[in-house]
Amino acid sequence: MTSLPAPIVSVDELSVAYRSGGREVPVVHEVSLAVSPGRTLALVGESGSGKSTVAATLLGHLRHGSRITGGRVAVDGRDVFALSARELRRLRGGTVAMVAQNAGHALTPSMRIGRQIAEAGGEVPVTELLEQVRLPRPRELARRYPHELSGGQQQRVAIAMAIAARPKVLVLDEPTTGLDVITQRGVLDLIGALREELGLAAVLVSHDLGVVAHMADEVCVMHAGRVVEAAPTRRLFTAPAAPYTRRLLSSVPRVTDAGLALVGEDGTREIRPRAEVPADAAEAVSVRHVTIDYGTASRAVDGVSFSVRRGEVLALVGESGSGKSTIAWALAGLRVPSGGRMRAVAGGLRGGAAGGSAGGSAGAVAGGSSDGSSGGASGGPSADLSGAASDRSAGLSPGGSAGAWSGASSGGRSGAPSGASPGGDGDLGVPARRRPLALRRTVQLVFQNADTSLNPRRSVGDAVRRPLRFFGTAGSRGEAASRARQLIADVRLDPDFADRLPAQLSGGQRQRIGIARALAGEPEVLIADEITTGLDVSVQAEVLRLLDDLRRERELACLFISHDLAVVRGIADRVVVLRHGVVVEEGPTDVVFADPGHPYTRELMAAALEPEPGVGAERAAVAVEGWEDAAGPGGVWVELGGGHRVRRWRSADG
Amino acid sequence: MSFLKASAGVAPAAVPPPAPVRPGFAARTWRTVRSSRPAAIGLAIVAVHVVVALLAPLLTPYHPTTGDASHALLGPSADHWAGTDQYGRDVLTRVLYGGRYALGVSVTATVLTIALGAVLGCAAALRGGWLDDLLMRVLDAVLSLPAILVLLVIVTALGTGSSVIVLAIAVVCVPQVVRVVRGAALAVVPQDYVTAARARGESTWAILRREVLPNITDVVCVEFAMRASWVVLLISSLSFLGFGADPPTPDWGLMVSENRTAITVVPMASLAPIIALATMVVGLNLAADGLSKAWGVDRIREGA
Repeated sequence: MTSLPAPIVSVDELSVAYRSGGREVPVVHEVSLAVSPGRTLALVGESGSGKSTVAATLLGHLRHGSRITGGRVAVDGRDVFALSARELRRLRGGTVAMVAQNAGHALTPSMRIGRQIAEAGGEVPVTELLEQVRLPRPRELARRYPHELSGGQQQRVAIAMAIAARPKVLVLDEPTTGLDVITQRGVLDLIGALREELGLAAVLVSHDLGVVAHMADEVCVMHAGRVVEAAPTRRLFTAPAAPYTRRLLSSVPRVTDAGLALVGEDGTREIRPRAEVPADAAEAVSVRHVTIDYGTASRAVDGVSFSVRRGEVLALVGESGSGKSTIAWALAGLRVPSGGRMRAVAGGLRGGAAGGSAGGSAGAVAGGSSDGSSGGASGGPSADLSGAASDRSAGLSPGGSAGAWSGASSGGRSGAPSGASPGGDGDLGVPARRRPLALRRTVQLVFQNADTSLNPRRSVGDAVRRPLRFFGTAGSRGEAASRARQLIADVRLDPDFADRLPAQLSGGQRQRIGIARALAGEPEVLIADEITTGLDVSVQAEVLRLLDDLRRERELACLFISHDLAVVRGIADRVVVLRHGVVVEEGPTDVVFADPGHPYTRELMAAALEPEPGVGAERAAVAVEGWEDAAGPGGVWVELGGGHRVRRWRSADG
Repeated sequence: MSFLKASAGVAPAAVPPPAPVRPGFAARTWRTVRSSRPAAIGLAIVAVHVVVALLAPLLTPYHPTTGDASHALLGPSADHWAGTDQYGRDVLTRVLYGGRYALGVSVTATVLTIALGAVLGCAAALRGGWLDDLLMRVLDAVLSLPAILVLLVIVTALGTGSSVIVLAIAVVCVPQVVRVVRGAALAVVPQDYVTAARARGESTWAILRREVLPNITDVVCVEFAMRASWVVLLISSLSFLGFGADPPTPDWGLMVSENRTAITVVPMASLAPIIALATMVVGLNLAADGLSKAWGVDRIREGA
């Protein structure tokens, strides 16, 4: 480092604390770092590690109630916290500029883009700035309002505002969190290019080790307010010294993992092979040619078909706006499809979980004894599925007016739909309120944002008890309470958490409660809508492991929605790739990842960033530059065998 | 919120010793009330008013409506602490009894108003669509009319019974409560836990009661505080104008009206009911403000 020019940013022994209840709580403890012009330093750590606090001090900002208890922050040779208010204002924007996490919130909604950028102050014309951040047709764009822009475009505008006054240092606080992989890749490439062009020093705050590996020259790993390890990027990722860094690195899922990684205390990784889904597993949910429209003008989902079998994890992958969450909401009964069929095929309940289930309005008790199999007249469209449903079935089927499946006998007789009552054959094409209770219970949704998915005024035990009582899976109050505690234990939490409020739980714990609440209905289909997005990597690994355990234990059919390919690779058995509401490729996970057939899939793969410097760049070369859809009357799919098929496409060049 | 206590008793035997139980609803309220001086003062004032109204017959030897003409228009003395009015009735006695009417009618009217307003406001926010549009336009129309005018029209048409006044107050005040509650509920409705309840297929009423209302308790409490004091004043104004309590009912507004002509002779006859009215309004405001914190805002802070 001695050969480098003098650092433009230097932080020496910085300590920050805030007062709470008359006590000093340290948030940052003796942190030192230095950044030279043209270099990028990454601050890495999990939430609460103090990385954002340190980054904000570069702009002379402290959160309300915090104060500096020691050390000094110098930018461009001046002590930031010794500056007067006027000088500080000149420092911000002029010397140091910040790009915040959520650009959509950072832009004033009622002001046109052009005026907003002009207000950021600076000599550079607005159109030139917009060109510099690679936004198309800058003149027209300057006249638009922030809400007319996509998330990636908003982030680019925020970057344009940050570089408007030609600062020397750029502070990037989670600049791409919340953007999908392809948009993220674009924004990161832009930041990289600007850094070169303008000779900026950059401080990048991120919890995403893939982003850090891609962008940074040096990395500071922070944990609980301290720097655990500081090293050049390549060294840190190839030979991490601190145990915490090793654990952190091991927790990151990789696109190359063939299963979920189990991380040991010392940071060793062990790949757990995926659970084998029996070849004859019964279909739990089938979606055929479903289209979903928003209003009359825009079609979010267009002719999507897939099915999920018991015990199988099917991943829906695609960038934001590809319609994957819309499908989840439609399955959960929150949005009505405008065309196609969605059906749930009710199988027998699992033996262990069904103990004591009262069944609510579920009327049909197949057979009578736990081994009894009533053959039942095969009727209905799902008759072709000769799935031997769970052989541990307790013979209590959640029928109601939904097409009740008889529990298959332990002798392995095929289950068959029995007594499909007219009008109610497990049809998921109607809103939740019009579905029979047993069907509503069959399909359960886990939400992306654990912060808003739990009622802040109700104890988490109450959140789990409610579906137990509502679906009638627990008869009495006392039983519901003890079942709720059991469910909380099932998601690997202390049952005493039942008395806590959501605010007293961490993000990962809240997400587990969200899963417990979904399990309370004893579902057969679990829809996980981006459930690990926004969680720290180690917490994400735990939640994924839990989900994997649960589907093994309960033979859940799981629809896993994600834009993170590395996560999908670890947990999913099959993958469906969505683009603009259309399936472009589907197949077994390993096959699709080993040999992506569609250019869009390749683009997604290339955009995924791995915590290994330089890896993503090589894969980017594989992506096809121009292509167009070639599905027509002649055929929509190219079958590649083994369930792997790709929507027809041709290269745009010819 | 009894669920907090209910859940504590059912720990399976296998579980390690339970964590210390969080303070219950009553304990939490009590703690907040103790820590907040305004809330304590407000509650004390309201409590004094309630006790006095209930115990009025024991506190005074006089009858509120029968007077002694020979002792009319007396100043404060040992026998009549606040003097007597033009019919020779003891002013203090009438003030003490007057709290019964004021408290009874206003509390009933406020509770009815808040209950209706909260349910309508939440329902409008939750259901949206044409129901929301229709409801809000109708309420806007009511809002545009001056409150006292509507009250006078209703009372003139239907008579001056206390049930009529309660209803009339509800008609006048509900639109404002609906507006405020709807605004608060709109912030809660898009939350995922409401979506989760919808996906379970819960009824609108169940979602309202379980998911939405608990999250706007503070808003409803503050509304209660504001409306209660406002309603007390409104009812007294009505009595003052001669459309509320019928003479010789002891009522503060009516007393001010009756005795204002003699204000230079026996000022206490007008001042005493005014003081009673003012303290009650202030007390209600302080108490409800403090309670809204105890039930609403502070619980979230505890969790953080």
